[in-house]
Amino acid sequence: MRRFAPGSVEAWVFIVVSLVALISVASFAGGGAVNDGERAEILNDQFACPTCDGQSVAESNAAVAATIRQFIRDEVAAGSSDTEIRDALVQSYGTEVLLNPPSSGVATLVWVLPVVVLAGGAGIVIASLTRGRTVAAPTAADERLVAELRRERD
Amino acid sequence: MLSAFGSAFVLLGLTASVAGMITGVVALVRGQRTATMIQFAWMVPLAGLGAFAVMEVALFRRDYTVSFVQQVGSETTPPIYNFAALWSALEGSLILWALVLGLYIAAVLRKFSDRRRDPLFGWAVVVLLGISSFFFGLMTLPANPFQRVAVAADFVGRGPNPLLQDHVLVAFHPPMLYLGYVGFSVPFAFAVAALITGRLGEGWLVETRRWTVIAWGFLTFGIVLGAWWSYEVLGWGGYWAWDPVENASLLPWLTGTAYLHSVMVQERRGMLRVWNLSLVCATFALTILGTFLTRSGVIDSVHAFADGEVGPWLLTFFAVITLGSVGLIGWRGDRLRSPGAIDSPLSREAGFLANNVLFGAMAFVVLLGTVFPLLAEAIDGSRLTIGRPYFDSLGRPIAIVTLFLMAVAPVLPWRKASTELLSTRLFWPAVGAVGVTAFAVLVGARGFWPVITFALAGFAGGSALRHIVLSVRRQGVGGLIGRSNGGMVVHLGVIILAMGVAASESYKTDRIFTMEPGDTVFVEEHSFTYEGLAADRTSRRDRTYARVAIDGGQVYEPARTRYTQQGIVVGTPSVRPGFTEDLYLVLDDVPPVPDGPIRLRVIVRPLITWIWAGGILMGLGTLLAVIPGSRRKTRGQSAHEVGAGEGTPTKVRVSAFSRLRGLNP
Repeated sequence: MRRFAPGSVEAWVFIVVSLVALISVASFAGGGAVNDGERAEILNDQFACPTCDGQSVAESNAAVAATIRQFIRDEVAAGSSDTEIRDALVQSYGTEVLLNPPSSGVATLVWVLPVVVLAGGAGIVIASLTRGRTVAAPTAADERLVAELRRERD
Repeated sequence: MLSAFGSAFVLLGLTASVAGMITGVVALVRGQRTATMIQFAWMVPLAGLGAFAVMEVALFRRDYTVSFVQQVGSETTPPIYNFAALWSALEGSLILWALVLGLYIAAVLRKFSDRRRDPLFGWAVVVLLGISSFFFGLMTLPANPFQRVAVAADFVGRGPNPLLQDHVLVAFHPPMLYLGYVGFSVPFAFAVAALITGRLGEGWLVETRRWTVIAWGFLTFGIVLGAWWSYEVLGWGGYWAWDPVENASLLPWLTGTAYLHSVMVQERRGMLRVWNLSLVCATFALTILGTFLTRSGVIDSVHAFADGEVGPWLLTFFAVITLGSVGLIGWRGDRLRSPGAIDSPLSREAGFLANNVLFGAMAFVVLLGTVFPLLAEAIDGSRLTIGRPYFDSLGRPIAIVTLFLMAVAPVLPWRKASTELLSTRLFWPAVGAVGVTAFAVLVGARGFWPVITFALAGFAGGSALRHIVLSVRRQGVGGLIGRSNGGMVVHLGVIILAMGVAASESYKTDRIFTMEPGDTVFVEEHSFTYEGLAADRTSRRDRTYARVAIDGGQVYEPARTRYTQQGIVVGTPSVRPGFTEDLYLVLDDVPPVPDGPIRLRVIVRPLITWIWAGGILMGLGTLLAVIPGSRRKTRGQSAHEVGAGEGTPTKVRVSAFSRLRGLNP
C-alpha cells in the first residue's frame, strides 16, 4: 500500500484516471435522447421576446413570449427541425429575435474580439514570465559600483 | 414647504462640495492647511442625510407638491415599500447615491482625522468632493427630485412600479448595491491622490485595502440579493437574465475582484503598479458607465424603471474620469516602473496574474456583449440582440478555468514552487475532486459542463478547506479571521454558488400545463394538483391565485396580481424551496370564465438555494476578511501566505520594504 502514499506518482495517476473516467462517463452516457419538452425548453432559451428588451422567450411573461413558446411547442411536436423553427421566427420577427448573434457580417466581431483579448492578455503575461527568468548581464557601470562599494568597505 | 427644504439640502450639498473642492485645491497647491476644506466636506454627509430625510417625510406625508412623490407616491403603498419608493426611480436613487457617498466621506474624514496635514489625504478628499459635486449637480439641474409641482384636483398617486412593491428584498438590494458602487469611490480617490502627489508606493494602497474589501463585499451581496429578488418576483424561474443593468453591476464586480487579487502582488513584490491603478480607476469608471448605459435610455432594459435627461451628463462624467485617469497614469508613468519581475510561472504572483487575465477577459465579454448591439447598429445598421446563449458560451469556459485556478493558486507560495510541494499540497484537494465527482455522477449528474464544474468545485473547495483547517489548527478561532482566511471563506461561497448555478441551469425542468380544477400532473416525481382559483382584493390590488397542492400536501398559491392604480398585472410565483431542489409555480394565464382551465407553469430547479447560500457565505467571508488577523498586528502586513506556513526572513524584509516605499516618495 506504500505505493499509494499521498502525493506519490501512483496516487496522482489514480486520481487523474478516475476523474477522466467519471467525466467521460457523465458526458457520453448522457440522459439519452432529448424528448420534445426538453427540446422546446432548449429552444425557448435561444430566442428573444420581441417586446421585452432582451429577455428570452423562456424568461418573459409577455403575451408574445407565450405565443412564441406555444409556436415552438407546436412545431417541435410537428417534427420541425431547429433550423426550420429558427427561420420561421426570423421571418416573422426579424434577426433581433435571435439571442445568439450570428457568426456572419459585423456580428463576427463579437465572437472574435474576446478571443483576441484573451490571447493578448495571456500573451503579455507569458512574455512577462519569460522575461523575468532571464537575468540581465551586469553592465560595466554595475561592476564599477560594486568595486567602489568593496573598496569603501575594506 | 418640503420641496423647499429638500432643495435647500441639495444646494447645500452642491455648494459645500464645490467650495470644499476649490478651497482644498488652493490650499494643497500653496502647501497650506486644508481645515476649511474639511469643514466643507463635513457638510456633504449632512446635506445627504437631510435630503434623504426630507424625501422620506414627503413620501410618508404623501406631499404631492414634491415632483418625485407625485411620480412614485401613493396613498395605498404599504410603509416598507413606501420607504423603498425613494430608490424606485432615477431622481430618488440619486438621493440615495448622494447619501451613501456622504456617509463614505464622513467615514474617511473620521478614519484619517490624524492625517489632516497629509497631502495624500487632502487630495483624496478633493476627489471625493468632486464626485459629490457631480451627483448633487445632477439633482439640481437635470434630475431634481424636489421640484415643486402643482397638484391636480383629481390627482391620485400611482405608487412605485408594481414589481418594486412585491417583495421585501426591494428594501435591501439597492442600498447594498449602492454601498458597493459608491464604496469604490474611496480607493479611486486615494489612487488619484497618489498619482497627483506622486507618492506611488504602496502607501495609498495599504490605506484603502480594507475599504476596497468592504465595497466589494457590499457589491457582491447586493448582486446576489438582486438575483434572489428577481427569482422570487419576476416569475420565470431564473435569477440572472444578462440584462444590461445586471451586466452593469457585474462589470465593476469583475474588475474589482481582479484588483483585490492583483493588489496582493503589489503589496508583496511592488509589481503591477500601473495595472492596479488602472483597475481601481476602471472599476470606478465602470460604475458610472453602467449608470449611464442603464439610465440614459440608450439601451433598453427591463430595469429601466425611469429615464431622465441625465444621459449626456453621465457620459461626460465618465469621459472625464477615464481621460483623467489615463492622463494621470501616463504623466506619472516614469515613477510607476516595477522594481521586480516574476520568477516562475509556478508562483503565487503568476497565479494572481492568471486570475487577472481571466477576470479581465470576462469583463471584456460582458462589456462587449452589452454594448455591441449599439455598435453594430452604428456600423452597418444591423439589428442584433445579444443574450444568454452568447454570454453562456463564452462565460462557461472562463468560469471553468477560474475554478481550476481557485484550486491551484491558494497553495502556491510566493516566488517559486516546486512540483513536489504542489504534489503534497494539492493531493487532498484532488481527492476531494474525485469524491465530489463520484458522488455527483452516482446521484445522476450527467453532461460535460456541469460535471466538470462539480469536479473543479471539489478541487477548489478542498484547497480552500485545506487552508482554513491548517490556519485554524494553528491559531484556533483566529485562523478564521483576517484577509487570507476570510478570503478562503469567500472562495467556499463562490464554489457553492458555482455548483448551484451549474446544477440549476443544466438540470432545470420547465413544463406548461393546461389544467381544470381537480387535475393532477407529474413533474420530476412530484404531483401537482390544481384545486381551484381564489381571489382576494384590497384597495391596492386584486390578486387572483390558483391553489395547487404539491405531493398531495401543502397548498401553494401562484398568483396574478393586478395593481389597481397602475392597471398593471404582474405574475407572482410561488416557490417551495429545498436543499436539493426548488419547485417553482407560475400562474401563466387566468381563464376568462370561472372554473375554466388555467395555464400553470411548473419549473424544477435543483440546488438553486445553494446560490443564495453561497452569496451569504461570500458576504460572511468578507466580514471575516476585514477583521484584522492576528498576524497582521505583529507584522503590520497581510498574512495571505498562511497555509504555506513558511515565513522566511526574506519575506518579512520584502514587506518591510514595501511599507517603506509607501512612506517615502
